Parts: sequence; C-alpha cells; structure tokens
Amino acid sequence: MSLKKTVLVWMVAWTFVICALHASLNLHFNPFAKKEAARGETYRVGFLPVTCHLTCPVTDFINKQVAGKSLYEPIRFNSFPELKEAYLSGYMPATFILAPMAIALREQGVPIKIVYLGHRDGTAVMVHKDSHIYNMQDLRGKRIAVPNRYSNQRLLFFRALKQANMKIEDVQLVEMPPPDMPAALYSKAVDAICSGEPFMAQTELDGYGRVLWLTKDVWPNFISCVLVVREDMIRDHHDTVQQLVDGIAKSGKWLEKSMDNRMGAAQFVSKNYYMQDPRLLTFVLSKPPDRVKYSRLTPLKPDFEEIEALGKESGVLKGTAHFEDYVDASFADTATNKVEAWDYTEPKP
Amino acid sequence: MSDVTPQATSTPVALEKESASAAAPTVRKGADPLKIILPLAVGLLFLIFWDAMVRLSHSDIFPKPWDVARGIVELIRKGLLLKYIVASLFRVTIGFGLAVLAGVPSGLLLGWFIRAFQAFNPMIQMLRPISPIAWIPVAILWFGISDLAPIFLIFLASVFPITVSAIAAVRNMQPVYLRAAQNFGLTRGQLFRRVIFPSCLPQIITGIRIALGVAWLVVVAAEMIAVNSGLGYLIIDARNAGKRYDLVVAGMVMIGVIGLILDILVRQLEKFDEVRWGYANNE
Repeated sequence: MSLKKTVLVWMVAWTFVICALHASLNLHFNPFAKKEAARGETYRVGFLPVTCHLTCPVTDFINKQVAGKSLYEPIRFNSFPELKEAYLSGYMPATFILAPMAIALREQGVPIKIVYLGHRDGTAVMVHKDSHIYNMQDLRGKRIAVPNRYSNQRLLFFRALKQANMKIEDVQLVEMPPPDMPAALYSKAVDAICSGEPFMAQTELDGYGRVLWLTKDVWPNFISCVLVVREDMIRDHHDTVQQLVDGIAKSGKWLEKSMDNRMGAAQFVSKNYYMQDPRLLTFVLSKPPDRVKYSRLTPLKPDFEEIEALGKESGVLKGTAHFEDYVDASFADTATNKVEAWDYTEPKP
Repeated sequence: MSDVTPQATSTPVALEKESASAAAPTVRKGADPLKIILPLAVGLLFLIFWDAMVRLSHSDIFPKPWDVARGIVELIRKGLLLKYIVASLFRVTIGFGLAVLAGVPSGLLLGWFIRAFQAFNPMIQMLRPISPIAWIPVAILWFGISDLAPIFLIFLASVFPITVSAIAAVRNMQPVYLRAAQNFGLTRGQLFRRVIFPSCLPQIITGIRIALGVAWLVVVAAEMIAVNSGLGYLIIDARNAGKRYDLVVAGMVMIGVIGLILDILVRQLEKFDEVRWGYANNE
C-alpha cells in the first residue's frame, strides 16, 4: 500500500475505535439503550475530596439510597483554582469553596452568596515527630506550609501567631497544595504543615507526624469551607437551593447523630467519592470525635467579621464586601428549623 | 525523541554486504538478538538501581518497582487502567489529529507565501513558547469541564511544532524541483500536490513525530483539569488519595510505555519510500 492509503486507513480506523471505546468506557454512552424518561434538570455542585466538603458526597449517597435519584450531581475537583474557574465559567451553579476565597470573589464583583457552612474545625498543624517543636514559640524562623493565599488556614496561622505575641515575619509561610504536604513533612522539606483533613491525619496515621495543635485549641468553631450559590440561581430557583441546603443540613445532623453513622460515611465516601483508603477517613472522623464537626452550620455574622478582619490584615481581602453582601442565611435558617437527620442506617460491612 | 537516527536503521544492511566479502559472521536483518537484549538489560539495571536506592534511603513513602507493579495490577483488576488509557489516547488522538489537519496546510501555505509568513510568523513565535499549563485557566473558562478543554491544550501544544516544521520544509526546498516543475508547465494546484507536498513530506513527518511526543507529554497537565479519567488524572488523583505514590509512579510508567509504543508506530512511516528518500544514507 502507498503511504497515503496506509495512513488514511489506519487513522480513520484508529480514530473510530478510540472514539467508540472512550464513549462506551468513560462516557457510558450506549446507542442501543432505551432512552431514559426525562430525568428533569439536575444541578452540579463542586467539591474536593477533603473532610471540609464531606456533607456533599454524604448527601448525594444517602439521597440515592433513599430516593433513588438526586437533584444535584456532585462534581469532584482536585484543587481550588480549577474548582473556582469552573464555577466562574458557569459550569456549576453551586460549590463548596474556601470562605476567604468566596468573600474575595464577592469583592471582585462575582455574584456569589454563601448559603451554608461545610463544617466546623477540621484543621490541624502537624510537625515531624522527630522535631523539637512543641509550641508556637518553637516555630520561630521555621518554614510552614499553608494551602492557598485565600485559605482560612493561612488566616488561622495569623490568628495563632497573634495569640502567641508573634509577628508574621517570625515564620516563613509557603503555599503548597495540601495533597503534597505529607510528603513535604516526611522529607522535612518544611517544618510544619497546616491544612484541612484528611491530609494532616495521614501523617499521624503513617507514623511520622505529630499534632502541634488542632483548630479547636486556637480558633474554636473554625470555618474553612462554605457552600456558595450563584445569585441568579437564588433568584430563579429559590426552592431548588432550599432543597440543596436542606439535604446538606440533614447530612450534617446525620453525621453528628452517632459514631456509627460517621464510620459508615467513612466507608462509602472513601470508596465511592474520594478514592482513598477508608482507614484515613475513619481515623479523621473518630480521633478525636471533635476533630471535625458538622453542627452549627448556619453562617453567623461574628464569625465572618473575624475572617474579614484577618483577611484584611493579611492582605487577601480589601474589606469592601460585608456579611450582608456575601451571605444569604435565610436558607440555613429555614433548614435548621425544619429538617432532621436522614432516616438512614448504613449497613455494616 | 528517539535515540536511533535514521542512518542507524541501515546498519544491518551495510553489515550484510560487508560480511559477504570479508567472510565475517553473518548478521541477518531483523534477527539480531542484541537489539532486544540490550534495551532489556538497561531496563533491568534501572529497576535494580531504583530498588536499591529506595532500600538504601529507608524511605517508606517512595514505592519500590514491585509496589508499582502491584499498583498497576490493582488498576487492571478495578478495570481502571484500560479506561484511563483509552481516555488519554482519545484526547491525544483528537487534539493531535486536529493539530495535524490545521498545522500541515497552514505551514505549507505560510512557507510558500512569503508575505503571509512575514505577517503571521511573529504571532506564531509568540504563542509557541507559552506552556499549556498557562492555558489551563483559559481552557476551563472557555470549555468548562469536559473533554474539550484537555483536547484544546493538546492541540495547542502540538500544532506549533507541526506548523513550524512545515514552514521550514517549504522554505528549505531545493530550487531544482521548482525549476523542473516550471519546465513541465505545472499549474499551481499540481505544483502543490505533486512537487511541494511530496518534497516536504520527510521533514513534515519529523515535525509530526516531535509533536506527537509533545502531545503525549502534555497529557498530564491537560488532565489536571477536572476531567475524571485519563493517565494524567490518575497521577493527580493518586496525590489526593493519601500515601498512594505507587499509583503516581504507575501512571508515569504507563505514560512512558505508551509513549514508546507511539514512537515506534510513527517510525514505521519512515519505511515508506515517500519518506525514506528524504533521509541521508538510505539506499
């Protein structure tokens, strides 16, 4: 065969085969399947595989078990910048996101409203178990990894330094994606790491990390991530947003109802949503049980005023957006008064 | 890309001729066992070195070759490996295919029409060095979270090497071909089809080979976007999954192996007469 013919035949055949395989394996496209009855509109909600966003997959999973379908489709991201960009592009009307990042977006004119909190606490500062760091003063001159400029973990550090009568210049903060932090601590590339779970617990579980402090010791009821919704979604689909908040609220109450529920969630979320070893979530959700909390999830003004002030001080916020601009607590208020925990028990493995 | 130059492929032929006259041991073409044994030996040495390094450093985080092999087996058993390979190959096929369809004709035209070249070349040279990683935010804003965004990134990464090699091919064409064509009184269309394109083909194929390497290189970065399949995604996902560096390295190994296979396949094109004449020392 000539070159032209060979290349043409092979290229056409290859393109056809790879497209067909991709459609069937990854896009689950089946031309022979009967068309499903119209499923109605579903809305995407962005989340990351972290405990701060745990209520998102829990809601989806239990919804599917109880009702068979869900109005919301959780979309898993791997980092905050991509999640934020997908939200800005209009790909999803709602997402879990860092609280200071949500406020900063509001300041920049993005039509965003915080409607609920993702969790309380759930952050730790870890040091290497061989290190001689036992309190904040020992961190003087040391290198500490924080997740993102717009993370509340960075603000948490500002607060902790203030409480210890230290200045930001006394430590060296470096930004690092949380998934990379355990390896950085292991290889002693940094002296301390600070991010949301489960990355901190992982270092403890693997035997080289030691807790310097948990958020509850420094900033009780700490908020790191919040649920945000686009303003047009609130205006045009008020009831749908309420349904979303109700579902998340039910999951929060369900997770707080019993340790059995938490252990069940650790199993089904690890296997179906986070693709992690279930031991990790089991550890985070139980040792100690108040390491991360899913109660008191209504956004409250004093909490956010403190974040605003710290954000301004640390230079990530301008201070032009205020609680009333970026929070719509009405959904949370309704949910708190109305909903109970899911009536669901995860079967024991 | 490859460590074997086109000249080297003709060595067995040359040896064969020499052996006939000098009565040296006969080396038949295609039956040289060293060709297989040598690279395998290098691979084995590399694995032993890797294993020894991990043992010596007492690292219980960095995986040994055996851990990676087990990771690959785990991926196969879960049915993920095939899915991810297909997803990555799909994105590279479409992105790279579009780059060839756009890059070759535009390169030939820009190489031929000097004014067009003068107009567009600065823009091409400006866009060319921008890393696909820098395009990620733009790709998400334009294409959202779908296969289109990584395809766009792969297209961007591979279209410039193809265009530039096609431009260079036309501009370096020997004037004697054109003069001969003019003597035969070819029309412009015939000139392009029968003279310019065939004479540029060997250089274009080299450009395509380099671009395919780049396209495959970019797959990890392109799949950092929140797609939920692909070998690049496997690496990003494994970082989120706690201490699963065996899967990170498994992703790297699979990308390497498939890259090698792709290069071998593209090199088959050089066996055709239409391309072979363009390389020196080919008889």
